[in-house]
Amino acid sequence: MTVVKDDFSQRLKILWFLALAVGAVIALRLIDIQVFRHQNYVQLAERNRTQILYQTAPRGRIFTSDGVAIASNSPSFSLYYLGANNLGQEYIVRLAEDIAPHVHLSSSVVLSKLEEVNRTGKATALLENLSVKSAAALQELLPYYPGLYLLEEAKRNYPYATMASHLLGYIGSMDDREWKKRDPQAEYRLNSKVGKNGIEKKFESQLKGKDGGVYLEVDYRGRVKRIIQDKKWVPGSDVYLTLNFAVQKAAQEALKNSKTGRGAAVAIDPRNGAILALASAPAYDPNIFVAYSDEESTGSKKINEYNLAIQGIYPPASTFKIITAAAALEEGNLDIHHKIKCTGKYDSGPRIFKCWGTHGPVDFFDGMSNSCDVYFYAVAAGMGPAPIERMQRKFMFGRPTGIDLPGEKAGNLYGPTRRARNKTYWFVGDTLNLSIGQGELLVTPIKLAQFAAALASRGNVYRPYYVDKIVSNQTGKEQQVGKTEILQKADLKPQTYDLLYQALKHTVDNGTARRAKIKGLDVYAKTGTAQNPHGEDHGWFMAFAGREGEEPSIALAVFVEFGEGGSSAAGPIAREMLEAYFGLGAYAPKEEN
Amino acid sequence: MAVWKAMQNSARNRMDKVLLYAMIGLVILGALCIMSAVNSLSFSNAIVRTHLVALPLGLLAFAFGWSFNYQIYDEQWKYLYGFILVLLIGVLVFGSYQRGSRSWFVLPFFSMQPSEICRVCTLLVVAAFLDRRRREVDSVSTLFLTGVLLAPIFGLIMLQPDFSSVVVTLPALFVLLYCAGAHIFYLSLACVFGAVAGFFTIAWTYLYLHPELAEHGLGFAFYQLAHNGWYMAGFTLLVALLGYGTWWFFKQMRILLPPVYFVLTTLVVLAGLFGGIFVENQMKPHQRKRVETFLAPTSDPQGAGYNVLQAQIAMGSGGVLGKGLFSGTQSRLGFVPEKHTDFILAVVGEELGLWGMCLVLGLYLLILWRIVIIGYMASDRYGFLVCCGIFGMFLTYMLVNFGMLLGIVPVAGIPLPFISYGGSNLVASLWALGVVQSVYARRIRA
Repeated sequence: MTVVKDDFSQRLKILWFLALAVGAVIALRLIDIQVFRHQNYVQLAERNRTQILYQTAPRGRIFTSDGVAIASNSPSFSLYYLGANNLGQEYIVRLAEDIAPHVHLSSSVVLSKLEEVNRTGKATALLENLSVKSAAALQELLPYYPGLYLLEEAKRNYPYATMASHLLGYIGSMDDREWKKRDPQAEYRLNSKVGKNGIEKKFESQLKGKDGGVYLEVDYRGRVKRIIQDKKWVPGSDVYLTLNFAVQKAAQEALKNSKTGRGAAVAIDPRNGAILALASAPAYDPNIFVAYSDEESTGSKKINEYNLAIQGIYPPASTFKIITAAAALEEGNLDIHHKIKCTGKYDSGPRIFKCWGTHGPVDFFDGMSNSCDVYFYAVAAGMGPAPIERMQRKFMFGRPTGIDLPGEKAGNLYGPTRRARNKTYWFVGDTLNLSIGQGELLVTPIKLAQFAAALASRGNVYRPYYVDKIVSNQTGKEQQVGKTEILQKADLKPQTYDLLYQALKHTVDNGTARRAKIKGLDVYAKTGTAQNPHGEDHGWFMAFAGREGEEPSIALAVFVEFGEGGSSAAGPIAREMLEAYFGLGAYAPKEEN
Repeated sequence: MAVWKAMQNSARNRMDKVLLYAMIGLVILGALCIMSAVNSLSFSNAIVRTHLVALPLGLLAFAFGWSFNYQIYDEQWKYLYGFILVLLIGVLVFGSYQRGSRSWFVLPFFSMQPSEICRVCTLLVVAAFLDRRRREVDSVSTLFLTGVLLAPIFGLIMLQPDFSSVVVTLPALFVLLYCAGAHIFYLSLACVFGAVAGFFTIAWTYLYLHPELAEHGLGFAFYQLAHNGWYMAGFTLLVALLGYGTWWFFKQMRILLPPVYFVLTTLVVLAGLFGGIFVENQMKPHQRKRVETFLAPTSDPQGAGYNVLQAQIAMGSGGVLGKGLFSGTQSRLGFVPEKHTDFILAVVGEELGLWGMCLVLGLYLLILWRIVIIGYMASDRYGFLVCCGIFGMFLTYMLVNFGMLLGIVPVAGIPLPFISYGGSNLVASLWALGVVQSVYARRIRA
């Protein structure tokens, strides 16, 4: 059949089979691209054609235990022009002049943006982060200028400004490195605001909602073709704290109005270790990081993040006498009726130690209620320093409370074994200093509050917690976060506790803590005045209280830096907090006539 | 009616039905794809109108090629050759200058690109020439004379310049020579020449992309080769010595090979080098960009590699079933460039998906298969050679278009016959298939 019968006639066939083989390779590669990598390319194609105008979702709110939202959201608006092209200079100038007065900008600034929009045809934000007031005014322009678009977003807002700011933390922009670390599933954008500190940082993943957005279809030059869809946001989960709003508020205001305006107050529920209030002064206003663009800025964005309540360490002073007393009752066979005569000074041999007053003959209850130094010098000299150190360990002095906050200081335990470990000597004077809570002994305000709660609960040294639960706004599901955790049990004889309670009640009724005496409550308290060689003394006040005849339901510690007297400076603050907690005095519910 | 019946009867054995249907399928598919691809363009109406005018013209050319006895091209090959030269000179003189090259005749109602017609004519001419030299087809002189024959054609095309046209014609000629029975060694030499020239060009481009390599050592010497006469002379001497050395070595080993092999190899390597240097120094920026893109497609996704990437995104996002005609976002929103000409396959892949791509690929393979079958049916050697040449041409079109999209072949502005927009190409391609049908019509009957 074939006329071509030379040696080369097979060559075309060879080429044909070659072509077939190459065709098979092409088909395989096509399957690879169009089937196996299909999803990947679909994503790329979608990314090509969509421009998303993101709408930041509301962050979860943060509530106190009594239902006050101390972190919430407020609306913020952005003004967009979607795909303008060849609008004509006259039109743009008129638009710029209409917009400018509502946003406190000169029309030339707005005009230059509008000209850019008109040139590129891209959807561009003319103005961002506008307040409701500006938005309402701009809303009226929308019908007259098609293409103008107001985008609503949610913006963090702290309605009580400084309220619990050290616990809440604040939010801010991410830096590049942080952005890369973020979980890609969580949909962070480079300009997303994230929690930078406190609860905002710790619960970032729960608080953050899913951003919504307006999806635009754009062509290869970014010109807008149409709006594809409008995706609604999903708000983040709400966080409920154990804080009591009234106590927190009372503490913060009282601290702010105190003598120096510097200090801390911590209140703990002795029944479960939940924090009722944690206040540090000075506090900061986290709102400054989320201000509107069209409002005047309120000055510098520098804030004082120092949380005195957990980071400030000071000698506990006379409040420590409770430890000395407990040690003496437990191990020193203290005769509580034996009277020691206070002449205002105590001769230890090499040195004379002074008392803050001259109290005459005092027994155990007088010594506690008047905080007589000489009484405790004598008791400590009699029993030696070791029991006092052991008692410190029982209440975990020198260890952090373990509250879930960054940067907590441990303070310092003081005693002969600690001294021995440092290979220096222990003198009688050290014993005497230790007995009244001076010297190398250091505690944080929260440590003292934990101690107060331990006394109030007869020995439960709690790990304090401040987050109760997280509630999803989507599903309504509750997630319990905080739980009672007893770090250690201070096992003292029941009569030791009984005697200490008697003495502390005596201090409130007849002694230095008289300012905390409140009708209808059983208040147990002790004051302290920490000697400060560098300036004014620091004032301490620790207390726990319950309604008359009931078990204590609040334990607190108040510290006023350079406040001089524990009774005069810190006492009134503690009283405010107790009244706020029990709804007494100025906090009593108003009777309706 | 009677006329129609008669036509049917006569056509029954005079036309290969499979080839015809495959061709019609591709043409219809092509028309749909072009309409879809240009839908979003402002000048879409003009393009669709032009294509719909070119289509009947092409069918006319197909009928013309089919009804004409193909042996006329063999007999009158010198006139055909002259016709090619006249067309190519004509376009250089009277052609209009568009997009950097002078390759269009602008006529009152339409414009045409003569190099498309010339490509098919060239194959016919070379087939005729090889048919005449069938006794000494495997000699070096045949290859040389073929080169002499082609030189003016390619020279004129390069003057336009239309580099892509040369690139797509060469492999077809190669297929023709191979099937005609050219000596493998000489063909390999031609390959070596092309490979050496291509290698040098690509290697120098690579050095452009990585200038730190050209600062010292081998890279530096290599870079100097293109720009420094001393290095060139040294390299020439080295290659000559190497050629002489291997010959001497073989002689010592008592393996006697004619020295002409070594002389030719040496000469071809050197010719390749100088060809490479020539291309290197003549390359236009956009052409260098294409080579760069081929070497590093993802290095600059917004730049030159952008086109291939976007075409792949279009194809990949189409998936198995595609997004449907007129619904491809990549092509409709302008991400795929040249979507109705060079990158039409990306539109097919996006809108018709894998099955559309396989349909095009399958129809092409069908056409190639029929051309091979018809080649073996041909009643004379010339018919066989014509089929070989046209087979080579369509094979090249297919490989370059698919390969470009898959990132296997550098981007060259080459349309896909029947599918891409381009009147001249459509007419020339349909004519070529008409010629193949003519070979079939005049086959030897069993």
